[in-house]
Amino acid sequence: MRRLPLQPRTVALVAVIVPLLALFLFVATRSGPLAPVAVTVTTVESRTIAPELFGVGGVESRYTYRIGPTFAGRIRRLDVQVGDAVRAGQLLGEMDAVDLDDRVRSQESALRRAEAGLQEALARQLHARTQANRYEKLFSSQSTTEEILEARRQESQIADAALSAAREELARARADRDGLVSQRRNLRLVAPVAGVVAARDADPGTTIVAGQTVVEIIDPKSLWVNVRFDQVSAAGLAAGLPARIVLRSRNGEALEGRVLRVEPKADVVTEEALAKVVFAPIPHPAPLVGELAEVTVALPVHSAAPSIPNAAVRRLGEKIGVWQLVDGGLRFTPLRLGASDLAGFVQVREGLREGARIVTYSEKALTARSRVRVVEHIKGAPR
Amino acid sequence: MGGKGIRIEGLKKRYGSGDTAVDALKGVDMQVAPGEVVGLIGPSGSGKSTLLKCLGAVIDPTAGRMTLGDEVIYDDGWKVRDLRALRRDKIGFVFQAPYLIPFLDVTDNVALLPMLAGVANAEARSSALELLTALDVQHRARAMPSRLSGGEQQRVAIARGLVNRPPVILADEPTAPLDSERAMTVIRILDDMARKYETAIIVVTHDEKIIPTFRRVYHIRDGVTHEEAGEGRPFDGTG
Amino acid sequence: MISLAGRDIVHAWGKFVFTGIGLGLLIGVTLVMAGVYRGMVDDGRALLDNSGAELWVVQRGTLGPYAESSSLYDDTYRAIRAMPGVAKAANVTYLTMQVRDSRSDVRAMVVGIAPGGPGATPGWPPYLVAGRHITRSHYEAVADVASGLRLGDRLAIRRNSYTVVGLTRRMVSSSGDPMVFIPLKDAQEAQFLKDNDALWQSRRRTGANPAFDRPGVPGLLDAVNAAQSTNAFVNAVLVTLEPGRDPDEVAAAIRRWRRLTVYTRPQMESILVGKLIATSAKQIGMFLVILAIVSAAIVAFIIYTLTMDKIREIAVLKLIGTRDRTIAGMILQQALALGVIGFVVGKITATFSAPMFPKYVLLVPFDSVVGFFAVLVICVVASIAAIRMALRVDPAEAIGG
Repeated sequence: MRRLPLQPRTVALVAVIVPLLALFLFVATRSGPLAPVAVTVTTVESRTIAPELFGVGGVESRYTYRIGPTFAGRIRRLDVQVGDAVRAGQLLGEMDAVDLDDRVRSQESALRRAEAGLQEALARQLHARTQANRYEKLFSSQSTTEEILEARRQESQIADAALSAAREELARARADRDGLVSQRRNLRLVAPVAGVVAARDADPGTTIVAGQTVVEIIDPKSLWVNVRFDQVSAAGLAAGLPARIVLRSRNGEALEGRVLRVEPKADVVTEEALAKVVFAPIPHPAPLVGELAEVTVALPVHSAAPSIPNAAVRRLGEKIGVWQLVDGGLRFTPLRLGASDLAGFVQVREGLREGARIVTYSEKALTARSRVRVVEHIKGAPR
Repeated sequence: MGGKGIRIEGLKKRYGSGDTAVDALKGVDMQVAPGEVVGLIGPSGSGKSTLLKCLGAVIDPTAGRMTLGDEVIYDDGWKVRDLRALRRDKIGFVFQAPYLIPFLDVTDNVALLPMLAGVANAEARSSALELLTALDVQHRARAMPSRLSGGEQQRVAIARGLVNRPPVILADEPTAPLDSERAMTVIRILDDMARKYETAIIVVTHDEKIIPTFRRVYHIRDGVTHEEAGEGRPFDGTG
Repeated sequence: MISLAGRDIVHAWGKFVFTGIGLGLLIGVTLVMAGVYRGMVDDGRALLDNSGAELWVVQRGTLGPYAESSSLYDDTYRAIRAMPGVAKAANVTYLTMQVRDSRSDVRAMVVGIAPGGPGATPGWPPYLVAGRHITRSHYEAVADVASGLRLGDRLAIRRNSYTVVGLTRRMVSSSGDPMVFIPLKDAQEAQFLKDNDALWQSRRRTGANPAFDRPGVPGLLDAVNAAQSTNAFVNAVLVTLEPGRDPDEVAAAIRRWRRLTVYTRPQMESILVGKLIATSAKQIGMFLVILAIVSAAIVAFIIYTLTMDKIREIAVLKLIGTRDRTIAGMILQQALALGVIGFVVGKITATFSAPMFPKYVLLVPFDSVVGFFAVLVICVVASIAAIRMALRVDPAEAIGG
């Protein structure tokens, strides 16, 4: 005889036990390692890839004029400040002459003394030559001895030599004076080109050694960006390519530019390729020299080919490929990958056709045995 | 299986030993025939409970002889090995309080005994239902004990005591919690059942209302029983 | 025969279910505790898995790069790549620091990954949950979702700000901090780069040193300053092997010829699991023992109380001839039922509460199975006292009172 259990008690019991068991079963199968892995799926599409190179660099000036004296000395005056625009040939400042003028005067005196010495030598030579001629005549009239004639001849020759020495002495004194004068001219610090004073490294009164920079002038029109590209991703970098330059101070604002040249020498230590990118045109106000710039160089567009997001690229053992969704199951498809762009798309050279469904994102690492659950978007990942 | 009822001869029980020994029973003689209801009356400490426990095979007497039906179960020592089976199959118990198992319904409370003896559930339940019908509580067969009235509970308890058709039923103050009318009813039921099922029933009581209804009464005092003829009044509740 | 235990449970199901839920919460805590330990081990494993490496080359004599600091010249990898058996070698840097975004800062492990591509270069995150991998060689970051960052967020690491372009999951350091992947060059800079004030102070100090600022040698100071602000170091070189190569052999060759310390995967695991989290593991072990004892005590107490409530019924049952075995079975079954309810509730609680913990809690099915049997054993042990008491009940108690 089968007896019915008491109704309300059974209902209450069922109301508690059944949800508990259902919850337990859900928990046992839907969580932990037994649960299917949530994945998102994308369809392989054919698209053109516009690869770009991304590098960072600093704004530099192509020509930097470092102006300083050619000898050690003290700065007497300096008329320009940092930021001043200067013309070509403009006097920027002057070194202290110290005793240079006195030395020039002394040299001029020495020059005049040499001129006087030359006059004296000329007079002596004339006299010696006259005497020699007179004694020639006296000797031919037998009025003097040959010995005396020889002495007169020798004197005339000595006077000739003394004259040419005096001439050389004059030339030397003149050259000495000219040298000092041009040195005095070099005391003047003159702008070689039109530009902007970028640095003023010393102030009047400072003693500096020969070759030390006093004022630095740059030409704002010659600003360029010295960009470093990682060697791994520098393929295709060439002169003439268009570039976008984002300056750190103007975040987000992209300036137009182009690659001027790619340096033939790459950096060995940092493993970077170097290139110069010029602004086209130079923005106003001019960017700061030394400012950090992010440069994106656009490479020629690759023709359309099956492309996948780089998030789909996985590694299984030694092979690189994607997890393909075939008949509800997972299959790892090894790929050969081609060009990629900065938006994260990679072209597939070999291994996938258009329309294939591949796993983009997954909750955890996948294996061929993973059970998957296709979702719109992975839970916990903010949109 | 009514047999010859129960007979007790010279039953003694001593608690403790040596100087502190107490003789609770000093030689009890009793005989109850099948179908007969006798009263067992005595004041507190008279040995009434001890006698009941000895009869119920839950404590060991010290000496004497007990015969249940035609089987000697005690003769200066138990003659049956399995006292539990003895209690289950040969002795029915009805208590002061019904002591029903609260988590079993009425039918299963009754059917539990045959089930414990190994009877199939359906069979046990049908014999339980038969007894419940005899006791007129079949309409509460599926109720839980807590839903029953006191009288109904006591009837179920009696049904439980009867279900294995034991030769003897020990009823311990079965009417104590009941008013006199219900008490009378219980006694009448016991009487009916004793006759119907050929069972000897010993009713331990000190309920003055029901004592006159017994035809035979054993008084127990200081560990000794004295048999008296009862009044044997009809169970009309009028006293 | 009917099930006495079952009937009793059905009769008093409210008591059982609520007691079971209470016990279940305790069991849930125990399972979570075990999950915390598994999570810690898994954090370590995830760190190794995610690096994609088969060998870790670190500074000689260190337990780097995770357990100790290690530094190598950043051109070391070239020599290692040339070793026989090595398929790929890539530099990597690890730096645990506070990463700031516009709202707050978060403790993160900044990983500098060598230029290359996903899959092709060890160290790159093996999978994403949103966004894309790093394509620019500077100022892009892929962050773990645990950092709370979103796609497009700008985060600041030292002086530079990085755009979050991709999100990962379960990319954590051995201490559970979320990882932030940035290009190696930036990471090297970040590892070294001081704040601007420190740079100015450093330049001033150098300038004040007469040895570096000689009047006769213009440019020396600049050269010294420049030399002070470069970082040609990385923390480790991640190596993958050609197929079929024995990692131990290749490791031995690198150790011998390059005089560097090399760890294989099992060695690395023993460092991370054996050394880094050894104390925490013991701590959790102690908690598990205590929780087991507390659970046992609670089950024992509950079962004992439930049995105490039934003493009269047990006496009656015994009087009417119920066998001890049946009574013991009833109590035992009730204890086990309580354990099962507790386990079910505990498992559910643990599963739903695990994601709420700040650190990773990994619930392993094996632990659940072990936990289930442990609960049953505890219930059996805990019911012993109640059973002993029930068996001592005198059937005579039912008579005469």
